[in-house]
Amino acid sequence: MLELRNLAKHFAGIPAVNGISFCARPGEVTGYLGPNGSGKSTTMKMITGLITRTSGEILFEGREVAEDWTAYKRQLGYVPEEPYLYTHLTGLEYLTMVAQLRDLPERQTRQRTEALLELLGLYTDRHAGIAGYSKGMRQKILLIAALLHNPQLVLLDEPFSGLDVASALVLRSLIQRLAAAGKVVLFSSHELDTVERIAARIVILHRGRLAADDTIDNLRTLAAQSSLEGVFAQLAVEQDTEETARQIAELIHG
Amino acid sequence: MAKLEARWALRLMSNAMARVSRHFHVLWKQFLLRIIDLEALSIEADVEQYIGQFAGVLLMISLMQALGNLVFPPPLSEAWKFEQSHILTMMLIVGLIAVLTWDGQFPDRRDALILGPLPIRPRTILFAKLAATAAPIGLAILLLNGASSPIIALVFARTSNWPRFFFSYWFTMIACSLFLLCTLLAIQGVGAALLPRRLYIRLSGLLQLGAYATVLSAYFLLPTLPTHASMVAVDNLQLVGLTPSYWFFAMLNQLNGSLPADMQWLAWRGWLALGASLAGALASLLICYSYTMRKIVEQPELIPSRKAYNWRIPLGSSLTGTLLAFCWRTLTRSRQHRIILAFYLSIAFAVWLAALHRALIAPGLRNFSIELPITSTVMMVFVVMGFRNIFALPISLTANWILRTTQLRPSARYITAVRRTLLLLSVLPVLLVTAAMGLTYRPLTLVAGHLVLLTLLGIFMVDASLAGFAKVPFTCSLLPGSANFQFTFWATFGGLTLLLAFLLPVEVEALHHPLHFLWLAAGMAASCITLWTINRWLAAKAELYFEELPEEMIMTLGL
Repeated sequence: MLELRNLAKHFAGIPAVNGISFCARPGEVTGYLGPNGSGKSTTMKMITGLITRTSGEILFEGREVAEDWTAYKRQLGYVPEEPYLYTHLTGLEYLTMVAQLRDLPERQTRQRTEALLELLGLYTDRHAGIAGYSKGMRQKILLIAALLHNPQLVLLDEPFSGLDVASALVLRSLIQRLAAAGKVVLFSSHELDTVERIAARIVILHRGRLAADDTIDNLRTLAAQSSLEGVFAQLAVEQDTEETARQIAELIHG
Repeated sequence: MAKLEARWALRLMSNAMARVSRHFHVLWKQFLLRIIDLEALSIEADVEQYIGQFAGVLLMISLMQALGNLVFPPPLSEAWKFEQSHILTMMLIVGLIAVLTWDGQFPDRRDALILGPLPIRPRTILFAKLAATAAPIGLAILLLNGASSPIIALVFARTSNWPRFFFSYWFTMIACSLFLLCTLLAIQGVGAALLPRRLYIRLSGLLQLGAYATVLSAYFLLPTLPTHASMVAVDNLQLVGLTPSYWFFAMLNQLNGSLPADMQWLAWRGWLALGASLAGALASLLICYSYTMRKIVEQPELIPSRKAYNWRIPLGSSLTGTLLAFCWRTLTRSRQHRIILAFYLSIAFAVWLAALHRALIAPGLRNFSIELPITSTVMMVFVVMGFRNIFALPISLTANWILRTTQLRPSARYITAVRRTLLLLSVLPVLLVTAAMGLTYRPLTLVAGHLVLLTLLGIFMVDASLAGFAKVPFTCSLLPGSANFQFTFWATFGGLTLLLAFLLPVEVEALHHPLHFLWLAAGMAASCITLWTINRWLAAKAELYFEELPEEMIMTLGL
């Protein structure tokens, strides 16, 4: 289980994440939602250790992750929000490098990498430079790199970004299967329909604070809304969306 | 009515001009900034200071030349030697800038996709790109000759001809710079227009390296021909006739009115070459901007590669193997890294060529002399320095997260792997080349002794250059904006002179006396071991450092 206790991150004294606490359990997908700038990606980066926290605790399997970062990183698979890769490498070279850095056995890794590239439709482009890849192709490389070592904790920050419909459907099913295999899956997305379909539990962040942490059914009941979109709009959307759209259209039309 | 129409037309034209001018200014600034790739600089770097330091070095060279010529005026008989040397230096500087901005004058995919949909005329983009390239070249011409040209004119021109010499000098400097720039532009333009885009991109890197090596080799290897007799000598006729720097030297003297009649053809060759290069560059640029931009967009982004091209460095999946593969791929595929490394390697290459040239002139076995230690030491210094400096040029700071999230080994192991990588990439090739060169010297025992000392020098240099370097290559920057380039340049120059002038004679003397040699080798080995021990001690406590956008930056941007 992944547990966050009073986790906070301040940038130059301004809180980006303000004392949040929640758990992501094995065997279920935890959806992590919030508007832009609410602190989702900052939380993800703190969990991966990419940025240091200002305060609070992050526990995995009951142990503070900072006690043994190396052991923790072995169990971690992470897909970041932006597909930043070493674009001068080919897809296969990048994945081979990641596998070597993770100290994975060579033969098994090669077979697994090639099979994953084949399944995700990248096999024919494996020797092409990542610089020429589309956003969706880069996203697939990130996914393979995150899952290559069979991690116990899977952090997915906007994993559907740029994926075509077929790949998105594959990923949706894959996320559920990963959770079913007993992994901890924390999954952040703006695609509320998808989150509603695959997540068992929802954590909503608003202005760096926890706005909700419950099952989807409970949230719907509590907010008296029929969909997750309605719940989200009630908890985390402050602006009148229709009015904003009208004002923008007026501005454009002069 | 006609008046109204004229006013309307005038206003339309003036609006169009203002728009074009605004477009030009915006684009010019952007393209100029691209020349100094901001990603190559540290986030803490100061671009203006960075440019200022380079400008300072050029100005200092010009001032030193001016002062030297003023205090110790060379005899008039040496005028040709000086003129040839100045033309060659000018061509070197312009050549280096032109090679560094390689492809920068032609539209790339970024231009085609971003600027293509905007209401900007291709010719505005072309002029902005040309202006962005012309700015550093113009500045270099001005800085390199600004201080020295009046003095040179005073020293080498007869008093009555001073203004004529001064004008001729400046004209020739600009002409030879234009010739070189336009020739390189024409080569790139023809390639870009005729070849499929993907093939051209691959070939372009090789052409760039070839141009780099040619410019540097020409500077280091071309002889100065200081007299009329040597210029028209039958043995030199082919060299003089085929080498542009001699054409422009003849042009200078033709403009100055001091060119002998039997060398006029050389000057005309210069004029012809200047005209041809200008026409070639203009034609290729026009073709590229009217045709290639469309071609870039139309060609597919990705062509599946069918061949299995996943070669591996045979070091297994060890960390050294992984880092070595990463370094090798970065060096061979990143234009920016390749070209900066080529600067250092070309010096080593030129020194090697000079040695080879001497060996070819006098074939057969030679007695061991200081020549081999000088050549190999210069090669070792520049190759190690080159690789070490290039390690500090990041490839993509935003992609560093993967190295951070996959760091499962202690930092000390990474530091050891980086050391081995640097040894394999820099020291080993120099040793192999030196060993091959050494086969032509006798006795071989002295060559072997020198190889031992050279190995120790290489190891020492690697360990000294990596002291405190707790980083993976290409993940952090050297802070070039805050590093004192002027100091580094002159310190390297002074240090190398010291090494060559004082320490190498000591080495050669020691090689002839076994006891002295043992003492020298033991001393160097002790230094290496000490440095290695200190580095290991530092590495055991070090944390790997990765440069990324600092958190504070996010807040100052107000995101």
